[in-house]
Amino acid sequence: MFGGTVRGKTAMLRVPSDADLEAHKRWAADMRIRRAGPIGRWHEPAATATWKERWTEQAKDKTSVLWSIAAGDALVGYARVRFEGAPLAEVLLLDQFVIDPAHARMGYGFDAALALHRWAFDFMHLRMSVTDRIAADDIGRQRILEKLGHVRFGHGHAVYYRDGAYVDQYLYQLDRDGWGERWPDEREYSPLGDETAR
Amino acid sequence: MFGPLLKGANGVSLRTPTLDDRKLVNRWMLEPETSRFWGGRMMDARDEAFAERHTKDADDPNSVNWSIAYEDQTVGFTGLFDIDWIARDCESGLFIGRSDLYGRGIASETVRLRTEFAWREMNLHRVHNWISLRNRGSRRANEKAGYRQMGLMSHYGFRSGQWYDDWLGEVFPPDRSAGIFVPPSKGG
Repeated sequence: MFGGTVRGKTAMLRVPSDADLEAHKRWAADMRIRRAGPIGRWHEPAATATWKERWTEQAKDKTSVLWSIAAGDALVGYARVRFEGAPLAEVLLLDQFVIDPAHARMGYGFDAALALHRWAFDFMHLRMSVTDRIAADDIGRQRILEKLGHVRFGHGHAVYYRDGAYVDQYLYQLDRDGWGERWPDEREYSPLGDETAR
Repeated sequence: MFGPLLKGANGVSLRTPTLDDRKLVNRWMLEPETSRFWGGRMMDARDEAFAERHTKDADDPNSVNWSIAYEDQTVGFTGLFDIDWIARDCESGLFIGRSDLYGRGIASETVRLRTEFAWREMNLHRVHNWISLRNRGSRRANEKAGYRQMGLMSHYGFRSGQWYDDWLGEVFPPDRSAGIFVPPSKGG
């Protein structure tokens, strides 16, 4: 599936458009992004026809959601999640989360991640957000997750291989109660009044 | 892929799965005796669905699947899944459908055979898995083969009024180090 609009303060999750495919082709071939491991690699580089097939598959896949991340008119990245625990599908797995290096260090990553988690907990009422795809030297994503309230629950050793060496893996989780305590005012909508009192 | 015949001790062997094995094992997954720590006791249980899944497993270049046999009878399945050929890492899994045979060491011998195959025949670097913390038998079978805890996920699943945590394990070949350690971030 493709995800709809979720607004942050400076960034926004929006419906992917066909025009975004060129950026995905570029991101998949960018070693700076691929270095992050599976959280930065939705697909391997491929021909345009293959990307169009992937696009159609993603649009039809009911177990995952892809968003483009925008800041104003600029496309600055993408996020992709999967649902775990069918048929309840109550756990969100963060599979890919990428900010284009040209737009890095401007706060878009945290703002988009906060909006994504608001959608997950406040709008969808999911039970938990989990990721098992964070490289131990990926300080940027770790800071985003920890600021959101994620707790590290696992440490895999020598899991990802790149730059001629293995790097460790961290695993994070945040449940709905933890989200509510940390972000009690993050609401998609204001509460409605008592209908019977009108 | 399907795995080759591996003969173990105490009447346990891993053998190439057949479609009849799959039908048998999958129907065991729908029984209460086997599903406290497994699945939701629901699936597409039509014969054609089993055949489709069997073919898919056979064609999958990133997994190795076996049936578990005990005294020449099929009693479950095991495998190495989601193989990352660059990192040489994969996930492992195990299911024994004959609850009357629990406690006889079948799981322990299965994990031993499977893990040895991962090192000696596939040259893998690491195998990891997720097991319900309360599934003591499965966890101990993995620990005996060298798996060590690398994480604990709280509230992974819910059964009969209780939350269950999940135990995350990993194992490395005996003669190799666990690679490069990167210290935890101080972020957040």
